[in-house]
Amino acid sequence: MKNNYLVSILILCLTFEVRAQQIQITGTVTSSEDKAGLPGVNVIVQGTSTGTVTDVDGTYALEVAGESAVLVFSSVGYLQEEVTVGSRTLINMVMSPDITSLEEIVVVGYGTMKKSDLTGSLTSVSADDYQLQPITRIDQALQGRAAGVTVTQTSGAPGAGYKIRIRGANSISGNNAPLYVIDGLVVGDMNSINVNDIASMEVLKDASATAIYGSRGANGVVLITTKSGGKGPAKIEVETFYGVSKVTQKLPVMTPAEFAEGVNFAEGTEFYTSDEIADLRNGGGEDWHERFFREAPFSNLQLSVSGGSDAINYFVSGNLYNADGTLRNQNYKRYSVRTNINATLSKKIGVGLNAYFSREEETGVRANLYQGLTWDPTTPAFNETGDYNFVPLKPGVGNGAINQLVAPENNVRENFNHQIIANGYFKYNFRDDLELNVSGGLERLDRNNNSYTSILVNQIGAAKVFNQGITRLQNTNRLTYTWNKNSNHRLQIDAIHEQQFVKAQGTEAEASGFFSDNTTYKNLGLGAIQRTTSKAYPNGTNNPVSESLQSFLGRVNYSLFDKFLFTASIRADASSKFAENSRWGYFPSGSFAYRISDEAFIQGIEIIDDLKLRVSFGQIGSQAIEPLTRRAIPIIDTIVNYPFEGEASTIGVAPSNRLANPDLTWETTTQGNIGFDIGLWDSKLTLSLDLYQKKTTDLLLDRVLPSYVGPTVVTQNVGEVENKGFDLRLGATILDTDDWHVSSILSVSKNNNKVLALVDDIELMELGLVYQTNTFPVNPTAVQLGKPISTFRGYVFEGVYQLGEEDEAARYGKVPGQARYKDINGDTLITSDDIVTVGDGNPDFTWGWNWTVSWKKFDLNFLLLGSHGNDIYNFTRMRMMGLGAAQFHAVHADYNNRWTPSNPSEIPSGRDGTEFLSSQFIEDGSFVSMKNITLGYNFDFPGNNFIESLRIYASAENLFIITDYTGFDPEATASGSSDVDLGIDLNAYPINRSYSVGLKFMF
Amino acid sequence: MKNIIKYIPKIVLIIVLAFLSHACADLEEDVSGVLSIENLSGEGDITAALAPIYRGMLEAYQHPHAAGVPTYGADDRTTWWAGNKAPLRVFDRFDYGSGESSDINWLPRGWDAYWKVIYYSNTLIEGLKTSTAPEDIVKIADGEARFLRALAYFNLVRTHGNMPILLDGDVPTGEEQRATVLQNYGHIESDLLIAEENLPSPDAVKSVGQASLAAAKTLLADLYLTWGGWPVKDNSKLTLAAQKAKEVIDLNYFELMPIDELWLLSGQNSGESVFSIQFSEVENLQNGWPAGTSFHEARGWSDMYPELQFFNDFPEGPRKDATFYTDIPQRGVAAGKIFTKDPPTIPWQQSQRQHPMYKKFATSENLTVGNRTAGYRAFEVIRYAEVLLIYAEAQARIGETPESIEALNQVKRRAMGLPYLSPDGATDVTTATVNEILDEKGWELAGEYKRWFDLTRSETLEEIAAKRDPNENVTLVRQPTKAQYIAPIPFQAISTSKLVQNPEGFSVAGE
Repeated sequence: MKNNYLVSILILCLTFEVRAQQIQITGTVTSSEDKAGLPGVNVIVQGTSTGTVTDVDGTYALEVAGESAVLVFSSVGYLQEEVTVGSRTLINMVMSPDITSLEEIVVVGYGTMKKSDLTGSLTSVSADDYQLQPITRIDQALQGRAAGVTVTQTSGAPGAGYKIRIRGANSISGNNAPLYVIDGLVVGDMNSINVNDIASMEVLKDASATAIYGSRGANGVVLITTKSGGKGPAKIEVETFYGVSKVTQKLPVMTPAEFAEGVNFAEGTEFYTSDEIADLRNGGGEDWHERFFREAPFSNLQLSVSGGSDAINYFVSGNLYNADGTLRNQNYKRYSVRTNINATLSKKIGVGLNAYFSREEETGVRANLYQGLTWDPTTPAFNETGDYNFVPLKPGVGNGAINQLVAPENNVRENFNHQIIANGYFKYNFRDDLELNVSGGLERLDRNNNSYTSILVNQIGAAKVFNQGITRLQNTNRLTYTWNKNSNHRLQIDAIHEQQFVKAQGTEAEASGFFSDNTTYKNLGLGAIQRTTSKAYPNGTNNPVSESLQSFLGRVNYSLFDKFLFTASIRADASSKFAENSRWGYFPSGSFAYRISDEAFIQGIEIIDDLKLRVSFGQIGSQAIEPLTRRAIPIIDTIVNYPFEGEASTIGVAPSNRLANPDLTWETTTQGNIGFDIGLWDSKLTLSLDLYQKKTTDLLLDRVLPSYVGPTVVTQNVGEVENKGFDLRLGATILDTDDWHVSSILSVSKNNNKVLALVDDIELMELGLVYQTNTFPVNPTAVQLGKPISTFRGYVFEGVYQLGEEDEAARYGKVPGQARYKDINGDTLITSDDIVTVGDGNPDFTWGWNWTVSWKKFDLNFLLLGSHGNDIYNFTRMRMMGLGAAQFHAVHADYNNRWTPSNPSEIPSGRDGTEFLSSQFIEDGSFVSMKNITLGYNFDFPGNNFIESLRIYASAENLFIITDYTGFDPEATASGSSDVDLGIDLNAYPINRSYSVGLKFMF
Repeated sequence: MKNIIKYIPKIVLIIVLAFLSHACADLEEDVSGVLSIENLSGEGDITAALAPIYRGMLEAYQHPHAAGVPTYGADDRTTWWAGNKAPLRVFDRFDYGSGESSDINWLPRGWDAYWKVIYYSNTLIEGLKTSTAPEDIVKIADGEARFLRALAYFNLVRTHGNMPILLDGDVPTGEEQRATVLQNYGHIESDLLIAEENLPSPDAVKSVGQASLAAAKTLLADLYLTWGGWPVKDNSKLTLAAQKAKEVIDLNYFELMPIDELWLLSGQNSGESVFSIQFSEVENLQNGWPAGTSFHEARGWSDMYPELQFFNDFPEGPRKDATFYTDIPQRGVAAGKIFTKDPPTIPWQQSQRQHPMYKKFATSENLTVGNRTAGYRAFEVIRYAEVLLIYAEAQARIGETPESIEALNQVKRRAMGLPYLSPDGATDVTTATVNEILDEKGWELAGEYKRWFDLTRSETLEEIAAKRDPNENVTLVRQPTKAQYIAPIPFQAISTSKLVQNPEGFSVAGE
């Protein structure tokens, strides 16, 4: 096609005819999106009525009066362009779509909509917003760019670890992750998705937008639309980047000599002689940070080809991502291929197929930082002969673990995941106004997790292989009727039937008692002891696990005078997770929008070019609990077996640790939303503000039962949680000249979360503690009435009893030097009654500020992030101070300033009477970070048949983090995606600072 | 709209086709992999239901710092004064008694394990009522479940005082209140009376790990002896205590092992063992006592070792040699394996913990299965020596007899490495006070999770604590009083229920 234009232009040039004063101008207008010719573009000589319109190929011809004439190119949906003729006679023009245009089409649940017609609350993030930055995961694309969406990078492990919440957490025990829908298909696992294939992500936030997803919409919905080919010749893009990561900072630790002095102090005897300490002062010992962390390279290669004709379009891509972890021996690789094909077979029939295949490889045993960095710093990792020092040279110092370098260097972990996501549709237009769309999708996830513990580590060798398959099927049948015969009334009705089915099955095979490490997990038969378990999930005990959902949906959109917009929807869902009598749920919503800017009295105000008011209300549900939750299922596990003869165990079957609840049903969220969209100065300044209030009732709540009852938990529909707040998005085009472009988007999210009711008169519940069992006899977090879902509990630390305070100390059975806690109830006893709320892991608000600056061919893009008012329980520091059930001695540099009679500090020096659940370890986790900054330069090669453009760039992630937090970083957390354990720092995988350079070719 | 109508057949056809090709999703969960345990129909079902009950008991007894945590106040137990033993020191130094320290690590271990035993037992006992299995199998299983439930309740009541009562057929509400000690003794007694009827004699048990009627009778004797002491002090029960212990002696089944063989791995499940917890090397299910009682320099955890005064008072002889290491093994790890250093031992006074170490638990250790000392020997819950001493004490309290003195003398003779059935003029006594018998019991059963209960029921704790060697590195917060007889209930149970914490929640029977 492109060559055709060139030929026609050549022909035009050859037939050029010179006339006095009049200059004949010709050219082709193309779209910046797909490089195809743009028909119907108005080309007018400024200040005159002379003009023409481009033909079907986008070409035009026009006579102008002289070199000073200015041509104005305009077309609906594209930014107007002006150009002075000068000495040229061939003027080609590339026109960019008007991205602020209200004509922009956005994806909504089960369909698309003009942005101007939206009545609900939706945040759209398109590839344009992040394509200048080298990113590999969807959380990087969403973080800081979508108002109302809180994205936390919970781990620095390569290829893993993020948590996304939309307008806070509704549920206490249910999962609060949003629903992810890729090209109409609900998918289970997002981790392997190649973000470079994504064209746009729409985040549905209010009831009007999400109620169409019924029982799974309450946590918000992220609609992901992958790229498709545009009309025109094949467009080839190759992008590659390389970089290196390292942890953002180290923890303050004592020197080996200081540690030795600390041990002597704690033991009250000379574990280390003064000679030994003097030797350590002159070197020796180990810097464990250096052993565990490294500079880790990463690279990404993306290749895509797209194009199409009137009848068919295609997008094909391949991606290879390879990253080492900053913690030694960690590696992640991802291979993926996508093929999106759409075909219009006739005026009535269209079909399409999107298919995605990926393979992930996660390898390497992770060093346990929690044990490793608190290990003995006086013992080098290796002895003089180069063998491991397995245990501290002085028995019983530091902690009881073995050298934490041994496991990562000798054990094996190789996890392989294969994912297929395929969905196809068949579209039939009965008439222009009636369309049937039948789609079917499949997601298949195969996990193969392998591990091997070396004989060196446990003397017997132990291999474990877990194979899991998850199949997810979906069928959606949608009938859409559109009526727009009268310009004052437009109507669209959707009727949808949908069914979904998920089944997971798995087998775990374990073997131990190997005589050789030679074959690791690959030959289980070499293990003397064999055990096989059927379980669908690694931490579960049930197999198979299935769920299914049957749904009917209806939606009506009505527009009156294009000014008053109404949407109403209802969805009925039946879920297998609930028993027959409580299976069906109904989720209605309604919304209204008023385009005030279309009113005459506003149109008179020049600076306002868009003003819309949106109001919505509706009910949405959540069924985000595991299948089989309502049942009491007997425990079949090695932990209930018993060796009656002192030999092999007899298999035991124990009654369930869960109380059955056949009445279990939906959790319901009622949400109201009021929003404004304002565009000023030709939408150079845009503001969207949404205020919302959500109330979640009949919570799916895991009620923890007192231990003497027997079953330890029952899931009930009780309690209420409220979320209210606002999302604000402020967009500004600050400078837009030929050379300069400066724009920024600020997103601010504020959410207040509050527990309104729990079970009966219970004011506090202990839930969660998923990150580490057996560490805390009292859960550091609590769910409390009138407070956010997760608050920190502990004693109020008031420093240390000083000399002269003997009498006061004695009242609490203490002596100077011991920790002092606030006696809340004044009973001169420090008991669990004095445990209060000492902090809160929820931020007051979060924000992201994305800037794009371009000058000529340079572009600079950076994203600033902030989170304010969230606390962190720093249990890593707690352990480093020598506290907790598994730590013997302190390694933290703060311990150098421990209380002694001659150093009256506020740092307790002993362990007796020192509580580790106390405000002593609460820290402010607020931060501002330069999440990403990228500087690029673009080369264009006009007329070059081989290459069209090249962009080179350099980028930095987490260039700086401004925070008072003393741990590795304020983002990484031990609690992963849990909402009841927010802000726990305990053996978290720290996030990284990385630098990269990249190239992007377009052919 | 009229025009649409003509398309309806087409629409219906397409939708029907869509449905036919993929039938409606089945809305029932797949439970084909879930085992149904509604009905205990045979021996297999019943054995599978018994295993978790025994396993729960195993967890309580697995380490010195499992169920034994609240018994560190006894003089046969102290712990490392530094390191991670703060929760054990809470009890060693009596830093509790008014509701403090309910939220410490390791305190819930015994509590949780015992309530698991009770829940599983209740479920089995209830299920056996409608079981279609042969009657003799049902009877024995019922006896085993009742014995284990009684043992769990007995240890709970002795440790924490008043307990809520949940038995078979009770539906838990979470509203339960604590019942008195006396009420608890009632249902424990009732369970054990049924158990001694239902259980087989010790020579007829199917596996070495299963309870026999001798186990039930000994526990009953122990219950009666405790009933006669603090806090209920019903002297009328002492006769029953003596009677039940005598019934076990009169079985003429049990014997006392030579003291130098008793604690070896080969000495497990011997003729001295009345009831023991089984571990398994093939399953790598470890007995944690060797590691728990060994010092770090011997590749253990230094959780429990004897107090100096207890050690010093312990009479010299073969039993003392079999009970303690006075030379502490010195070990390291190379290439993942434990090796012995040079010198292989150092005197206890120079060791890191500056105390002797328990040999009785460590001598059966296995140093080849990891980088820390491991154990697989069965743990003695009830030994015949205890039966003899219960008998001797109970009888001494109501009037000693030649038979009760003989029972005491058998233990003393064995302690001296003598044939225990042959009188020995140098060792034998002709009379003994209750306190002398208590001392003997303390030495004989040193470290075995018995001493604390003897000190409290006999109200000798204060006296013993006052004798504590001033050189102990763990310093007392206070001298114990009755407030320290009862350990706090773990925080989780208090905070999730209507139970009242000690001391308010504890009232002596009859009040």
